[in-house]
This record gives sequence, C-alpha cells and structure tokens, in this order.
Amino acid sequence: MIEFHNVTKRYDGGFEALSNVSLQLDDGQMAFITGHSGAGKSTLLKIIALIEKPTRGQALLNKINLNNLARHRIPYIRRNIGIIFQDHQLLFDRPVFDNVALPLHIQGFRPQEIAKRTRAALDKVGLLKKEKSLPITLSGGEQQRVGIARAVVHKPMLLLADEPTGNLDPVLSREIMQIFVDFNQVGVTVLVASHDLDLIDVLDKPRITLNGGQLILNDLADSKQEDRDGWQ
Amino acid sequence: MAGSNIRRVKPAASNRVSAYLLHHFKSLLFSLGKIYQAPTTTIMTVAVIGITLSLPGGFYLFLKNVDAIAGDFRSSSQIGLYLDLEISEKQARALEKQIAGMANVVSTRFISRELSLEEFRQNSGFGKSIDTLSSNPLPHTIIVEPAEADTFTVRNLLNSLQAMPEVEIAKMDTEWLERLYTIIEIAKRSVIIITVLFAFAVLLIIGNTIRLDIQNRYQEIIVTKLIGATDAFIRRPFLYGGVWYGLLGGIISWLIVEIGYLAISGPLERLNLLYQSDMSLITFSFHDFIILITSSTLLGLTGSWIAVARHLNQIEPT
Repeated sequence: MIEFHNVTKRYDGGFEALSNVSLQLDDGQMAFITGHSGAGKSTLLKIIALIEKPTRGQALLNKINLNNLARHRIPYIRRNIGIIFQDHQLLFDRPVFDNVALPLHIQGFRPQEIAKRTRAALDKVGLLKKEKSLPITLSGGEQQRVGIARAVVHKPMLLLADEPTGNLDPVLSREIMQIFVDFNQVGVTVLVASHDLDLIDVLDKPRITLNGGQLILNDLADSKQEDRDGWQ
Repeated sequence: MAGSNIRRVKPAASNRVSAYLLHHFKSLLFSLGKIYQAPTTTIMTVAVIGITLSLPGGFYLFLKNVDAIAGDFRSSSQIGLYLDLEISEKQARALEKQIAGMANVVSTRFISRELSLEEFRQNSGFGKSIDTLSSNPLPHTIIVEPAEADTFTVRNLLNSLQAMPEVEIAKMDTEWLERLYTIIEIAKRSVIIITVLFAFAVLLIIGNTIRLDIQNRYQEIIVTKLIGATDAFIRRPFLYGGVWYGLLGGIISWLIVEIGYLAISGPLERLNLLYQSDMSLITFSFHDFIILITSSTLLGLTGSWIAVARHLNQIEPT
C-alpha cells in the first residue's frame, strides 16, 4: 500500500523534517507512527496525503509514484484516503450530517445513496442521533468522531490519522483508537501518528518511531526480518 | 482481500452524470443560499452593480429617445421650391406633376402665389401693409416631401430640383438636423466608451466580492481539497455566486432606469402637450431587457472566473 524509499523532506529554509526514511506498509496492515513533536510524523503523513512532496527519494501509494503527480490527478488519489486531523477540521456552518456527507457529494453519489452511507458512518461512530446538530454544540470527543465518520464514509482503502486523540482524555482516546482497530479488522489499512505511548502499548500494533526526521525503530521491517529468519 | 473490495465501491457511470447535473443545480441553489445568508453584503454588492450599470443603461435609453425624435424630424423634412416670378400658375402646376413623378419623391403640394399672400396676410399681422403693395411679391411654391432615404440621396434630389430652370430657390431646412445627427453620433460613441468602462468596473466589483468570498471560505476550500474535491467542484459555487450577483445587479439597474424614466415622464408629457407632439417616451424593449440581463450575468460570470483563477489555486492545504 505505502512504500517509502530513502525519502527526504527538506523545507524551504533548510529544515530537514524527514531524512532518508524507508518503510513499507502492506494492504490491510495497521501501524502507529510515534516520536516527539517535530520528529517528522506529520510530514510523513502529509507526503502520503499529497500535501507535501518529497525533496529526495521515492514515495509510492498503491504503486503510484507520489513525487511527480499531475495536479489534476491529486483529487482522485485523495479519494482513496480518509484523513483524520487532530483539530477535526469540521465545517461549522453546517450540521453533522452535511459534514460527513461531503466526501460523497464530492464523488458524485446520488442523494439516496449519500443518506444511506452517511447514516451508516454516523452509526458506526455512535452519533446517529446527532446528525442534525451543529458541530459547535458537540464535545471534543464527539467532534473527533464526526471527523472519523467523514474520513470513512466513502470507504477509503487507507486511513491516515494525525494525533487523533491529541486533545482527548484517556477513556475517549481508547474509544477512538478502538474505532480505528475495528476499521482495520474489516480490511482498511490504517496509519496513525500519535505520541500517546501508553495507549499504543495496549493496542499491540507495529510501530514506526521517528526522531529528528530519522527512522529509529520500524516494527514493520523487523516483523519481516523475523519472518525471513523463520524461513531459514 | 477486503481492502480491494472496498476500492470497488464507486457510483455507477449513469448515476454519475445525473449526480453531476444535480451537483450543478445544488451549487446554484447553494450559492443563492449563501447570498440569502449574508443579505447585507449581497445587497450592497448588487446595489453597486445595479447603480453602475444603470448609468450606461440610462444613457442608452436617453439616446434611443433622442434618436427617435430626430428620426421624426427627418421624416418630416421637406424641400421648398420657390419658383421664378415669371412662371404662370398653369406652368407651375405642370411642373408639380412632373416632380411628383420623380424618384425619391413621396408627395408634392402646390401653393399658389395668391394663397401664399393670403396666408401671409392672415398669419404675419402685416395685412394692412401688404394691401399697399402694387403687386404680389410672393412666388408660386411647391413643397416636396422626399422619400425617407440617406442624406446623400436627399441632397442629390435637392440639387436636381435646384437645377430646374423654373426653380428660383430650392431650400431644405435640415442643416440643423445634420448637426443634431453628428451630436447624436458623438453621444453614441461616448455611450460605448462609458459602457466599456462601467462594464470593467462591474468586473472589478464582482471579482473583489468573490475574492472576499473565497477568503471567507478558506477553511472549507482546504477541507474539501483534502477529501478529494477537484478544482472544478470547488470553483463551481463561486462562479454561480458571480452569476447571481450579475443577474441581480442587472435587474436592479433595469429597475433604476425604469423608475428614473417614470419620474421624468410627468413633465415630459406636459412638454408634449405644449408642443402638440405625440412623442411618447421609449423605455427598454423586451429585447433591450434581455441584452442588459444577459450581459450583466456574463459580466458576473467573467468577474468571478477571474477572481477564482487568480485566488483559488493559491489555496492549498499545508
């Protein structure tokens, strides 16, 4: 699903957010990206979400090279990805239902289909009764669940989450993470950036740890290594 | 595997076409809804566009009226032929017949010397002094009404009439009319210049309004881009917004001009009465109305297109 080959990202001004990062996340896998703030977690996700381009190296999503993608193709690639933000990025001028339905509108689904899928997504995050509420009236945890419903409503093959539990208390954080685990169990590839190490320990999923833009721990590679060792 | 199954869930092609049309319709309504939600801004923008367009609109209508009045004068322009005093009435009547048969002549009227004198006696107030004259100083007169044609043809007719031996003087009282036409021509070109300038102003007004609109919806644009909206999808509501501004502005300008003309129609009718004229005020025809509305709508679309092209591409998620 995701392949990074020696990816380096240097921002204008010389700051190197990622240095020579190589990794591979297969279809249907779930992994966490950890590290201190400024370690390069967000930059890694931004490269996958086509928000940033690698300065050097190669990033592939489903064998598609993300380095030099034509501008008009970007929206269609993004439709395969569901993105969840720490600050939810909800639109406060419209009710929950319209927020969640937005990806379906963009992709040109019919109204009946939109209603069906939107309600299904809201049901999955337990907010079916709030569909007419304005986001501003919801709690932080509920807003994040609306964000998740919007990210999954069009059934993307990849879910990216950037500090999805950043502002939530431990109980809510656990609930949110469980939603990601549930999606992963039905076959969605999930990549979550988080520094909530206690929570990550509980979930027992592979970990990619960054420090100062460098990959210092990669469970994905290690597990492969183990497989290979087992073969021998 | 499950991942690849998920990928296949896409709307069917036929559904996409109708959903596409539906989206167009929705953007149209959505942009109207936005206008409804921000009435003050919209009313101000639309009013500015309306007032701006009402100037060239009003000038155009004014010219149309002046043109009609001048046309009225032109159709009533006549050539007066004052014959040689030696010509007898019989000869004069024969000449009238001959002229009546000429090309570009609609009708002729013969006024004999005696009749002229009688009219003069009654109308001029010099009746007594005329009686003291030993002979009638007035010639036989033929009034020729030329066919409605361009100035050149009428002038040719005048020249050929002047060349007749029986005609002492051929006179056409239209030089002032030609001056009027020249003035109208200048005014017409001024209206074109004004229209171009004001159309440009409307472009700027709409472009600026849409630019502010884009800034206000910055967050929405970022989010929709991140969830896979194409540029066309994001552009659409703004373009429709421009269309609404243009359309409503056009209607406002039409109303302003109509109300303005209504306001001056009272005194104008009195003027008509005083001049015993049956001129009625010309307002916008249906054709004019359609042209006004269409061009203001197109201006709206163009203005928003320029704003969108300039500002929308600069907004990218970071």
